[in-house]
Amino acid sequence: MPLEIPDINWSLLMPQLVIVSTLLIVLVFDMFDAISKKTLGWMTIVGAGIALWSSIDLLQAGIDQTQFNEMFRIDSYSLFFNIIFLVSTILVALVSISYLGSGDKKQGPYYLLILLATLGMMLMAAGNELIIVFLGLELMSLSLYVLASYFRESPASSEAGMKYLLLGAFASAFFLYGIALVYGAAGTTNIPEIISKLSVDDQSSLLSASPLFLAGIFLLIVGFGFKVAIVPFHQWAPDVYEGAPTTIAAFISAGPKAAGFAAFLTIFVDALPKLPTQATGVIVLLAMLTMTVGNVIAIAQTNIKRMLAYSSIAHAGYVMIGLAAANPDGKSSAMLYLFIYCVMNIGAFGVVIMARTTDGENLMISDYAGLGFRKPLLAMFMTLMLLSLAGFPPTAGFVGKLYVFKSAVQAGHYWLVIFGAINTAISAFYYLRVVVTMYMREPEEELEFKPYPPTLVIGLVLAAIGILLLGILPSLLLNPAQNAVL
Amino acid sequence: MLLSIVIFLPLLGVIAIALLRGLGANAVKWIALGIGLLTFVISIRLYTEFDTANVGFQTNSEVYQKLDWIPGIGASYHIGIDGISLWLVLLTTFLTPICIIAAWNSVEKGLSGFMMSLLALETGMLGVFCALDLFLFFVFWESMLIPMYFLIGIWGGERRIYATIKFVLYTMAGSALMLVGILALYFQNNNSFDITTLQGQFEPSNLLFLAFFIAFAIKVPLFPFHTWLPDAHVEAPTVGSVILAGVLLKMGTYGIVRFCLPLFPEAAAHYTPLIVTLAVIGIIYGALVAMVQPDLKKLVAYSSVSHLGFVVLGLFSQNGTAIQGSVLQMVNHGLSTGALFLLVGMIYERRHSRMIVDFGGLAKKMPIFATIFLIVTLSSIGLPGLNGFVGEFMILLGSYVGGAFSKWYVVLATTGVILAAVYMLWMFQRVMFGTPNDINASLPDLKPREIAVLLPILLFIFWIGVGPNTFLKPMEASVKEIEAKVRVIPETPAVGQVNHQTDTDDAVVDVKTATLKINEEEALSK
Repeated sequence: MPLEIPDINWSLLMPQLVIVSTLLIVLVFDMFDAISKKTLGWMTIVGAGIALWSSIDLLQAGIDQTQFNEMFRIDSYSLFFNIIFLVSTILVALVSISYLGSGDKKQGPYYLLILLATLGMMLMAAGNELIIVFLGLELMSLSLYVLASYFRESPASSEAGMKYLLLGAFASAFFLYGIALVYGAAGTTNIPEIISKLSVDDQSSLLSASPLFLAGIFLLIVGFGFKVAIVPFHQWAPDVYEGAPTTIAAFISAGPKAAGFAAFLTIFVDALPKLPTQATGVIVLLAMLTMTVGNVIAIAQTNIKRMLAYSSIAHAGYVMIGLAAANPDGKSSAMLYLFIYCVMNIGAFGVVIMARTTDGENLMISDYAGLGFRKPLLAMFMTLMLLSLAGFPPTAGFVGKLYVFKSAVQAGHYWLVIFGAINTAISAFYYLRVVVTMYMREPEEELEFKPYPPTLVIGLVLAAIGILLLGILPSLLLNPAQNAVL
Repeated sequence: MLLSIVIFLPLLGVIAIALLRGLGANAVKWIALGIGLLTFVISIRLYTEFDTANVGFQTNSEVYQKLDWIPGIGASYHIGIDGISLWLVLLTTFLTPICIIAAWNSVEKGLSGFMMSLLALETGMLGVFCALDLFLFFVFWESMLIPMYFLIGIWGGERRIYATIKFVLYTMAGSALMLVGILALYFQNNNSFDITTLQGQFEPSNLLFLAFFIAFAIKVPLFPFHTWLPDAHVEAPTVGSVILAGVLLKMGTYGIVRFCLPLFPEAAAHYTPLIVTLAVIGIIYGALVAMVQPDLKKLVAYSSVSHLGFVVLGLFSQNGTAIQGSVLQMVNHGLSTGALFLLVGMIYERRHSRMIVDFGGLAKKMPIFATIFLIVTLSSIGLPGLNGFVGEFMILLGSYVGGAFSKWYVVLATTGVILAAVYMLWMFQRVMFGTPNDINASLPDLKPREIAVLLPILLFIFWIGVGPNTFLKPMEASVKEIEAKVRVIPETPAVGQVNHQTDTDDAVVDVKTATLKINEEEALSK
């Protein structure tokens, strides 16, 4: 049998190719000591910017194709997720430049790993094939393990990396085992083929009733559950977020979560209606648990990074609502929500970085007392991000939540929506508590703040504009998201 | 465009203050006042252009506007007013500049933030009253929470943080349920949030009714959801209390009359006995608790619970007269209670106490203050000739003659009128009469600025009391429409007659005024 080499349309792979070339350039330039390490950060931003531009370009052209023997999908769905990942990468790189400082010699690998992780995410979103999804997942995860422990001198950072590695490896194993079982039952790892086999109404070989297949699906849920940190697979998240460098915590909480959901949605939104109803029940239950546990535990946090970690767990629960709805609106609402969530969450972590004193970072919520009047810009950014996370109009967070809820009501999951809505009220309590601390309490001690680095301010201004713009004119993003699932 | 200008002009003021706050405190105050007054002046045109013959929402293109906003969700920028929202819009634009003047010298820190919150709040409130799209309504409903949260939380009293969080969480818990209700309506309304096309039977109507009603009942607040109110009022700065009592609470009663009643008439009728019982409990309980309050502000706060019980009673009576009275009473309560909070604030600035025991004999040293206080007190009690009487009388008459519930409810509610006289006059006596002690003897009387704040309110207190038809006429068509939608009991001839007379014939109102005057005096003499 002659080897068949598929025709590859490289121009459709532009975003991925740009990222690969950027990371090679960063790798090479890192070797020259004469080049300021900050330049590497700017290169990352420019590279991601070009990739973003070409993704938008492809999205507007309405491309819908597969490449590499149907393993790789370039359609509005994957391109939309590319935009989420690249926006996150750009924002994280912007806040990182000043965070790492100029003295550190080891900045090259930092940006390199961020770019590699981004590439992994793009693979996950574009994967039309469980193997590709797994490859992307590993590429992303391995980069993140290293990034989490990037501050080697800090025990907390090393601990974070170690925990993340151990639990992440377990999750990968579950995931891989799930793939194996699904393959065993369905005879293919191609996602559309698996879905179409589910639709076959042949009682004798009903795939959706096969125990092997269901076990595989269950293991896939566990694997994804770990990666996107839904309850009860969430325990790693707070420790990793707290220990990891704040920029990396922002990064892990944003892009990788979106990537995990990208693959999760690809498989499950189409598969859920065809699976036994218990599968939907499991997803609904996980969504309820995730929101409630995340929000309730967040109330008890005194450390702002841990609070944001639990809040990001809760937000995964809101995205799960869209997944549970398992209709086109559910899918596009989850996509929209993930975009908005990434921007506001990176923004919130960005403000945590901004509130650095000469002694280091202010991680206790009580340290924010009185900032409202002494640091108006910082407090304003923080308030905006938190209000958006809490889902107050006219911020983007409100539109995101409303759209997710709407899709679930359409699917008839009233209880799920009531749960979500009540959780929104619970979450307002701890988000507003930070605002209360900033504006309504007097500081206990005078803190010396570092001056704001310009790149950080640029990043936060971009995030703030994005949140307000999407809150007032959500159609900008809603239309592409809706087109992507048609 | 006109209505959009009214809604968003205050928001423009917020931006202007944010940009120009470097010019100093005085500039900020004048910008805020200028914007507030301009908004009010423009909003008067809403009244002059109002077409009373128009049933439902005004179709004038100056007022009515519909633009695509988020086609992907089915939400549009859709605004308009009818005879009910007209008065609430005017009340809002009227009270805001008054609040700005009232806060002229009393804000010590963060003046620009204070004024920005106040103006942002105005936009939010106006939006709630004008939105004809459920999505837009909810956006305004929720976004108005944030400035109020800051107003209480930053510029409030000792326990402000507790009060402000309680206020926000209560409202959010209610609106969470309402959100689910809105989404359920959306799918039954051909995937649209348009309020004007909402009609027919919605399922499950009882649950949907409750989802909306609980959100509004918390805001009103109806007993037993009222516990946030005294806390919020006591801790809020004077201006916050004025806005809270004057306008924010009306958002709850407005929601009831706009959504709960016309959309779910059967469910409303089904729950009427329960709701009216709660309203009557609120009337009597609020009055009794107000009677024993040692703190002036708390007394006024509990009197709000009592007064709004009347409004809810009237709204659920299925009777046009009573509903009209309720709408008028919303405005009345905004004026009287707003003025009471202003007066309490003025005396607090002088004496730094709100405890009734600390006062006494003020009438001798502060004659102007005492006079105005007396008028406002009487208006709150419902003295004929002043605004409170017209509203309460229409509510009681309408629900007694044509109410959808037992007359005993009305009889019990009427005791609230007597109790109001008891707690208000008793308070007035303790504060104003007797011999002043040394501190009270040295208190200065009202300054011209303070009189300027109160005079416009007094004008309307008298105007509504003497010539209520100016105000009743524009809302008549809208109220009739609501009445037609909610009526599920068979119409008796007597009801129709009463409606006809009260709504159209000025002379009849006067005769009734006279009759009730006698009753009222009897009540007082007891």
